[in-house]
Amino acid sequence: MMPEPALIKIQMLGRLQHRDLVLRSVAAACKLVNARSDNAWNDFRTQVVTAVGEAFNNVVLHSYEGQDEGIVEIEIQTRPDHICIELRDWGASFDPDAVPLPDFDSLPESGLGIFIIKTLMDIQYTPGRPNVLTLSKSLASSAKEHGTVDGEQ
Amino acid sequence: MTFTVSTINAGVIRLAIEGELDAVTVPDLRKEIDRLATSSPKRVEIDLSSLRMVDSSGVGAIVSLYKRVRGAGGEVVVAGLRDQPLAIFRLLRLDRVMIGADLPVPSANSR
Repeated sequence: MMPEPALIKIQMLGRLQHRDLVLRSVAAACKLVNARSDNAWNDFRTQVVTAVGEAFNNVVLHSYEGQDEGIVEIEIQTRPDHICIELRDWGASFDPDAVPLPDFDSLPESGLGIFIIKTLMDIQYTPGRPNVLTLSKSLASSAKEHGTVDGEQ
Repeated sequence: MTFTVSTINAGVIRLAIEGELDAVTVPDLRKEIDRLATSSPKRVEIDLSSLRMVDSSGVGAIVSLYKRVRGAGGEVVVAGLRDQPLAIFRLLRLDRVMIGADLPVPSANSR
């Protein structure tokens, strides 16, 4: 039986200590995308959780630059075989398209988060009050990629 | 995240990292990386067989250790990667340079 579409909203202060709560919520929401637990679903969940973790880091460390009182809203929408996660913040905006690809030959130690997010999920970003980062992914895309676990094209 | 540092023999250090290495936990490891790098080891073996999740800040810390030890003439080998951490290392093309063969069973004194 396919799960019903679901909508989950969380609001918190943009602090790294809340990262675990966010990722546990996202991992739990992935169970609402599909009840089965096969390799493709495991990859799907891992990729979604990894991408959202990077996105949350970016909000806390860059949009709010360590300000403890910035609000983050997270809205998770699931439907069979698909998840969409919106992260809203009221901090500094950025342009994800202006972030250069990492120069892998130089073994970069930073600047990797946006690359990871873009590789693992479809993204949209609308700067403003709030900034809205939308991450989406279909389970079918993970199933297709399965075998290259990392989602590399 | 927890980590253990063992001396295998003179100048050879094994760093085993367990759990989740991410923006929350990496500051603790950074202090140890600074200490390790300044001790100019001949070889550092990074055992990630019990690492469950890593994010870009965790990868950055490991790459930092790799570059600092190599820059001082030492050798670094990363072993035991699996699941999500292995996928991230592959995604970031680090498997080409940093992943070695399985490490021998340790016979060292942990500290």
